Amino acid sequence: MKEVINSSWSTGSTSADIVIGLMLITAVMILCVAILMLKVIKFYVRESIHPTPFATPEEREKRRMEQEALLVLEKKKPSIWTRLMQLKPLEEEKNLVMEHKFDGIAELNNPTPAWFMILFYGTIIFAIGYLLTYDVLGFGKSQEEEYIAEIEQAAEAKVAFLSNPANAANAVNENNMEQSKDEAVIKNGASLFANRCTPCHGEHGEGLVGPNLTDEYWLHGGTAKDVFKTIKYGVPEKGMIAWEKSLSAQQLSDLTNYVLSLKGTNPAGAKAPQGNKE
Amino acid sequence: MTEKFYYDNKIVRNFALATIVWGIVGMTIGLLIAMQLFKPAMNLGSQYTTFGRIRPLHTNAVIFAFVGNAIFMGVYYSLQRLLKTRMFSDVLSKIHFWGWQLIIIATVITLPLGMTSSHEYAEMEWPIDIAITIIWVVFGYNMFGTIIKRREKHMYVAIWFYIATFVTVAVLHIVNSVQLPVSAFKSYYLYAGVQDALVQWWYGHNAVAFFLTTPYLGMMYYFLPKMADRPVYSYKLSILHFWSLIFIYIWAGPHHLLYTSLPSWAQSLGVAFSVMLIAPSWGGMINGLLTLRGAWDKVREDPKLKFMVVGLTAYGMATFEGPMLAFKQINAIAHYTDWIVAHVHVGALGWNGFLTFAILYWLIPRIYNTTLYSKKLASFHFWIGTLGIIFYAVPLYFAGFTQGLMWKEFNQEGLLRYPNFLETVIQILPMYVMRAIGGALYLTGVIVMTYNLIKTMKSGKLVANEAAEAQPLPQVYVAQGDDKKLHRMLERKPMIFMVLSLIVILIGGMIEMMPTFTIKSNIPTIASVKPYTPLELQGRDVYIREGCVNCHSQMIRPFRSETERYGEYSKAGEFVYDHPFLWGSKRTGPDLQREGGKYGNAWHYNHLYDPQTMSPGSIMPPYEWLAEQKLDTTTTRSKINAMRTLGVPYETGYEHKANAALEEQAKAIAADLQQNNIKVKSDKEIIAIIAYLQRLGTDIKAK
Repeated sequence: MKEVINSSWSTGSTSADIVIGLMLITAVMILCVAILMLKVIKFYVRESIHPTPFATPEEREKRRMEQEALLVLEKKKPSIWTRLMQLKPLEEEKNLVMEHKFDGIAELNNPTPAWFMILFYGTIIFAIGYLLTYDVLGFGKSQEEEYIAEIEQAAEAKVAFLSNPANAANAVNENNMEQSKDEAVIKNGASLFANRCTPCHGEHGEGLVGPNLTDEYWLHGGTAKDVFKTIKYGVPEKGMIAWEKSLSAQQLSDLTNYVLSLKGTNPAGAKAPQGNKE
Repeated sequence: MTEKFYYDNKIVRNFALATIVWGIVGMTIGLLIAMQLFKPAMNLGSQYTTFGRIRPLHTNAVIFAFVGNAIFMGVYYSLQRLLKTRMFSDVLSKIHFWGWQLIIIATVITLPLGMTSSHEYAEMEWPIDIAITIIWVVFGYNMFGTIIKRREKHMYVAIWFYIATFVTVAVLHIVNSVQLPVSAFKSYYLYAGVQDALVQWWYGHNAVAFFLTTPYLGMMYYFLPKMADRPVYSYKLSILHFWSLIFIYIWAGPHHLLYTSLPSWAQSLGVAFSVMLIAPSWGGMINGLLTLRGAWDKVREDPKLKFMVVGLTAYGMATFEGPMLAFKQINAIAHYTDWIVAHVHVGALGWNGFLTFAILYWLIPRIYNTTLYSKKLASFHFWIGTLGIIFYAVPLYFAGFTQGLMWKEFNQEGLLRYPNFLETVIQILPMYVMRAIGGALYLTGVIVMTYNLIKTMKSGKLVANEAAEAQPLPQVYVAQGDDKKLHRMLERKPMIFMVLSLIVILIGGMIEMMPTFTIKSNIPTIASVKPYTPLELQGRDVYIREGCVNCHSQMIRPFRSETERYGEYSKAGEFVYDHPFLWGSKRTGPDLQREGGKYGNAWHYNHLYDPQTMSPGSIMPPYEWLAEQKLDTTTTRSKINAMRTLGVPYETGYEHKANAALEEQAKAIAADLQQNNIKVKSDKEIIAIIAYLQRLGTDIKAK
């Protein structure tokens, strides 16, 4: 049940991809040209309304210096950053220097910025509110209450899921399990078997730490219902893991069918029979 | 009348050299373990170099050897100049220096040998703990001696931070190290379970606060104005952020234990105080950055100041992220993942590393009376170091976030989307590769710096005793102007200052710990929880020795995703006999709290012997030596006795029967393994560790 997510940008057809690519490039080029055109028109309009007078190099130099003098005057205005941080202009610094110097290090007597104090008191108020909410007034859920709510919600979701007829296959359990020899089912079971079961039962079910699954002998019953049950709940005292938490009911059923299909395959290196013949 | 005297530069130089050497050692080990995470074979097939044993070596080397020596370098340099006097005693300085290096060497030897107490960032066993206490007192004595014989009436802000560092680290180290020795290199912590966890994280968090933060803030307050030649931005801000920082920081430890079985009120205090910590932490950062006002043109061309600026910014980022991670909702995703690893490394690489480098670049040419050999190489170091931090942190943030969400994801059928823990590990392996590349870049920078500094030293000559002169301290002092202010008065009284900071840091610790230790209802007892059998106890110690706790937690949080994956969530009462607690702080492998009875003995044997057979793709190294090494049962008796002293209810005289019980249980496990075609003698260490794993979490399991 792998979901196929189409994550590539391709449409699937090479020629269509090329056309889309070319269109994108053309669009970008048109955009560039349009910006350039706009600039040219703007320049043309400005020059026709206020033509730049011809100036000698000396005149230009003079104008530049005037401009710079203006800039210096304007700079006196504090920047946004300075205002935001509520900083005093650097020129006033000498009034703030404290008398003491330590190994040549002076300290300024700047006030703590107001935004800093707001942050400071704000977090204190928040912290008091937090403690009141969770541990004094009991408005907030304790972690145990959160957990119970989470579990209840999951149980409701599960009921809703199973009551949907489309998910009927997942309603299978150890009481209503029926063997199936459908090839698709066996194949799906085989792929589930590949990683999860091979460390103990061997690549072909021949048995390693766990018993041989290909003979006619069973330790915990060989019917479809029994095998399903063994896989689902495991046999912890013998080291067989319970799989109910990691495989869906349908997957358990597919796996059961695959295991049943192994009977009589006689793989190489098969472990000696264990349990009763069935 | 001015007095003439000499500053001791030799001790500063020695600490500087130690900083560089241990820095390279610590970071190289870091790189090695980073590579082991995607290539387990990098453990070199040796038990002494596996992740579990040398990860603590990396953390301790970087924190106490690299940063520790850097602190002493910075303190010994600035303290003399700020107080206008030579250090109190050259002999004490030397004892301090050599004592500290010997402690580090002892650590470098004992940790790979598996002698560990398992408390994170305090893994050293009790004899080393005692040595640390002695040397720390030597440092404090030397520092206060210097302060007493000062020629400068007032203590500059840097010294406030040094004083707070000294008193708090002393308190932290002593309280966290209270343990009962079993043998020369084995001990059990006095506290168990929840209480032990609280002490450990009160210590662990405040090691960050008072070893990695306050001394560095003190150094920043001295070296930054010196480098930039600018006045400190705000004296008022220094006062406010100093006192609020040391008061609030000490409370925040429990945020490492959110959603655990620590009582809820203690968790909430941890969250609340973490949030309040933002402003005090940032106070240091903005005071530093605003000190650079009007000097940003210098920053553009001076690599030292660049290091300082990035260091301060990294500090600001980490201290903003800290409180955010303390929120339950964020912590629920981030905890146990690499997110936390990335977070601490932004602090370690950015703040501690970069400030250290800046100070070295500034200080070495000065004490050698020369100029830096190459500014270009320093610039290169800055850029490759910054790149290294980015390469380190960004992939790990991504890895942590990804894995945290994968652990929690359910599919439509109400089952975990990734029931196999290993899937979530394999997903993030490429990020581990990137992280190692980042670490390698950073280390390259440090090596370039070392070359640059050696060349610098060779071009000059050490001014071992630097001449200075200053007015003696006046006998009678009449405060004038600014000095009449309350805090200025305090700055003239070092002892009162020390006692005051001691009181300020004790309040938080006491309020948090006393109720958990004294009020029984905080840890509801569970009747079915029994002490470990002798074999399990020995197995637990093998587990501790191998550092399994560095990758596996034993704390299932009350989340649906965790109870589905592991089983019933952990209760405080389950850990009453756990000296020490083993909750872990990072999950590189799955939680083991309910491991008992989940798999057969044979599964565990195979998994320990070669993890890849049972979990294809696993990054756990093989522990073959456990199957070869004989379990040391000569200690069983003293271990049972020690446990009884700590309150574990073994019946009287049980210590005499303990080894017989141990053998019986071991034989049963060996026989079970035999049945599964595994031939192993019952006296091997692997039997004990299997016994311990099979016991985990079974006490409260419904039968």
